Amino acid sequence: MTAQAISLRPAVSGPVQPRFTFAKVALIAGAALLALLWLVPLLWALDTSLKPEPETTRTPITWFPIDPTSAAYRSVLEQGSILRWFLNSTIVAVLVTALTLLVSVLAAYGFSRTTFPGRKVLFGLLVAGILVPPQVLIVPLFAEMTTLRLVDTYWGVVLPQVVAPVMVFVLKKFFDGVPRDYEDAARVDGANRLRIVWSVMVPMSRPILGAVAIFTFIGAWNNFLWPFIVTTDPSMMTIPVGLANVQGSYGLRYAQIMASAVLGGLPLLIIYGLFQRHVIRGVGDAGVKG
Amino acid sequence: MPNHPASPRPGPTRRRVLAGALGLTGALALPGCGATSGPARVREWNLFGGGDGARLLQIHRQFVAERKDIAFEAHTLAWGPPFYTKLAMSAAGGRAPEVATLHLSRLRGFSPTTLLDPIPLDRLSAAGINSSDFLPQTWDRCLIDDKLYAVPLDQHPFVLYYNTDICRRAGLLGPDGRIKTIKGVDALIETMKAVKETTGKFAASVETTNPWRLWWTLYGQLEGRFFDESGTRLALDDAKALEALQLMAKLAADGLVPRSSPYAALVAMFTNGDAGLSFNGEWEVTTYETAKMKFGMAPFPQVYDVPACAGDAHTFVMPHQNGRSAASTQATVEYIAWMLKHSVEWAEGGHIPAYQPVATSAEYLALRPQADYRDAANHVLLDPDAWFSGSGAQLQNEAGAAFSGVFSGQSSPRQALDQFKAAVQKLLDTPSPV
Amino acid sequence: MAVQTSPRTPTGSSSTSTASPRTPTGQPWTEKWGGLLFVAPFLVLFGFFLLWPTLSGLWNSFFNKSLAGVGGEFLGLANWREVFHDPAVWSSLKNTLVFTAMSTPPLVLTALVMALLANRTGVFGWFLRFAYFAPFVLPATVVTLIWVWIYQPGFGLVNGLLTSAGFAEIDWLNTENRAMLAVVITTVWWTVGFNFLLYLAALQGIPEHLYEAAAIDGAGDRQKLFRITLPLLSRTTGLIVVLQLVASLKIFDQIYLMTVGGPNFSTRPIIQYIYESGFTSYRIGYASAISYLFFVVIVIVSIAQFKLFSGRKEDLR
Repeated sequence: MTAQAISLRPAVSGPVQPRFTFAKVALIAGAALLALLWLVPLLWALDTSLKPEPETTRTPITWFPIDPTSAAYRSVLEQGSILRWFLNSTIVAVLVTALTLLVSVLAAYGFSRTTFPGRKVLFGLLVAGILVPPQVLIVPLFAEMTTLRLVDTYWGVVLPQVVAPVMVFVLKKFFDGVPRDYEDAARVDGANRLRIVWSVMVPMSRPILGAVAIFTFIGAWNNFLWPFIVTTDPSMMTIPVGLANVQGSYGLRYAQIMASAVLGGLPLLIIYGLFQRHVIRGVGDAGVKG
Repeated sequence: MPNHPASPRPGPTRRRVLAGALGLTGALALPGCGATSGPARVREWNLFGGGDGARLLQIHRQFVAERKDIAFEAHTLAWGPPFYTKLAMSAAGGRAPEVATLHLSRLRGFSPTTLLDPIPLDRLSAAGINSSDFLPQTWDRCLIDDKLYAVPLDQHPFVLYYNTDICRRAGLLGPDGRIKTIKGVDALIETMKAVKETTGKFAASVETTNPWRLWWTLYGQLEGRFFDESGTRLALDDAKALEALQLMAKLAADGLVPRSSPYAALVAMFTNGDAGLSFNGEWEVTTYETAKMKFGMAPFPQVYDVPACAGDAHTFVMPHQNGRSAASTQATVEYIAWMLKHSVEWAEGGHIPAYQPVATSAEYLALRPQADYRDAANHVLLDPDAWFSGSGAQLQNEAGAAFSGVFSGQSSPRQALDQFKAAVQKLLDTPSPV
Repeated sequence: MAVQTSPRTPTGSSSTSTASPRTPTGQPWTEKWGGLLFVAPFLVLFGFFLLWPTLSGLWNSFFNKSLAGVGGEFLGLANWREVFHDPAVWSSLKNTLVFTAMSTPPLVLTALVMALLANRTGVFGWFLRFAYFAPFVLPATVVTLIWVWIYQPGFGLVNGLLTSAGFAEIDWLNTENRAMLAVVITTVWWTVGFNFLLYLAALQGIPEHLYEAAAIDGAGDRQKLFRITLPLLSRTTGLIVVLQLVASLKIFDQIYLMTVGGPNFSTRPIIQYIYESGFTSYRIGYASAISYLFFVVIVIVSIAQFKLFSGRKEDLR
């Protein structure tokens, strides 16, 4: 598997002969058609959001807005909630990502490089924890949150998402493969273990940490079920949860609904556009590493 | 990863990380400290979409303008189970809004003693609202263990809407321009056939995906019972239940009503004239007025033995909070009182005011078509009294799931009734969680 | 578990490797227990937000615990008996399995086709990768808002196309037998990108020289595909199928947001029934019991996955 992991490079490689056979053209056309099919829903949402309300329900459907307007966006933004939800999503996703990385790196190092009584048992517990899907915990976890008075708080949304045993597991396996020489060298220089984690392990594992960070961030930003359970106050909701509530209250105003969908999807589309290479390699790594 | 781009930026220093973390903590603390001094905060949750939602927004604007001493904010959540689930969860979590709307039929099933805070009667009467301002049967349902848990805002019966143009052409209007009284099954079908011929499509628009109200109205007119005297055993009269379901099936089979129509389609069909009648709650007045329709309203026809119509009442409740301050309670009670006194504007949306000084006011009685069906308030049938009943609760869901097949033709009345009875029995067998 | 390290020398430390035996500084406590401090933050969170709810859920399943805080008496096995006799449990579990069975094949096959099409396509590949994967980064709510609109009777895109092609309109989300299909189509559109990328990574891991050798032997494109590419992708396919099965079993978001489990509960997945039992009906104890039933199903699938994979790995060695 090592060979596969190394060769995860961008597609443009090797000798590509630019032979334009019929089959090749057909393949490219097929690929483009499929891509277009995949983009149509997004474009249709954008298209609808730019129409004046009456035009959205006109039959037969009009393909392009006859009279494009940003009215839907203006009224969505004026209602204000969506900005608040953006803020909440940002706070939640940043906190979840930062805390997950911090807690998981420390734990992975602890399990990989230190010994203490009960280490094996605790690691076994962690591995068992991977098997527990968060979905089955919603009911007892909510009951717990009411006791801890964390319902409708950021910590209530964030903390359960920080518990990612699979991340610890993956990072521990990665750390296991880091030669001890570097660490010993740093130790000779008098660095304590916390410093070793920071200046040896973290730089060495930057690619995998990057992948973990991007996926944790996307996951936290997009997480629906848990924030949906633990927030009831609309001012504490994240984007996915808030938008779900909007459905009911907008009535039949499709341009507005589509405008809020476009706004809700935009941040991550932009992030994905910017980090596409990292995201793609991250998935590849995840797959190869199993 | 050989091709990882060498990152030129210096790694974050511990100090910087710490500063960032502190900054975040600060940001997190901000929204938490809502209990600062300043105007008392009243957050209101409601479940009103469509025309009601728009009207409530208007009334709330006026409230905000008049009561600058109260920091008021309202949120509308999706009607039915999503709203009630969220409301219960927020009350269980202890950070519920100060005030919320609740259907009277759901009060007992909501577990008022644990999930609601009682409304102080002394503050309420100081704000000018007394028990004598309501119909006794309504007021009494708001009391539990002698404590007041809800203040009724309105009553909202299931009624008949009619498009005046279409009905005039079909020859159904009386000399006063109102629809002629329909009495009995045959009269109903004759009327509907005439309307169908005029529209060329359907006679009436109904919500086939949630036919509880229509069925409960018809079954109620047959004087059917739901529970036995103990109130815990199902005592449905199969013959009567089937009679109502067969009528519903016939309406769909004859093309008088659509076979499949969710709520939005019910509104759309009446608006665009695909249907000249509409069987619905009275809350779409605003929608049809906004659409500049010519329409009238009447109590739902007496098809069977007695006049009766499904209905419910909206009330205000105070969901349970861990720390409710006296100032916030006072502001909340004042909000409720203000809303009742201004309920004539609410009544313009179709609801019959519960607050009698408004219900008997000249201003309300002058409303057309709103005052034309106010008699229906005397024949309103609330849902059977059980923890799983009430607007949007499980009983209605089960009825919707079972009875929608009667319209679509996917199930026979017998099958639908059996499915419904099995579902109710299951609910009865379930230990009550409240 | 393949792990490889990029030899990035840590800044600020000399690379002279003096294999130094640790100097015993006489701090036995930190030597013995210090490691625990590293794992402590994780363990505390793990204990609070994973272990505790797992155990309290099991505990609650024996009680009439209510969201409303009333009741709470010991029920013994009554909740569990009810789970096994509750048709709604089994029908929602069936819906979950039906969704899994309907969604997994297209999610795997479409991903494979996409990866084959997008592999080694140069600059054009950037566009393909963007288009195929973009929906995956959207939140469930955005996806469902868009698709509910697309499926809308009257003026939605799908029905608009159907009617203009002379077909009858379908009320996708309100028709039994159609609603689940509609959800599956949406799901394929939304999440196929992830599987696509897994396949793409695997494709790019196939050494070029295999194809060159095959070309010398006179193999055509078709032979290369069936003799080299597809066989070498079999492990990846196994991985994707298994990941997909577990992911599909956890279905809730799209269905709740598109149909709320309707019409006539025909799409309600088991997680929605857990949600409704626990929060809409207040029955925390009963919902915990259903959760455990579902948990068992997931564990069985996961263990099957583990068995399958440890077996397959040995085949390859």
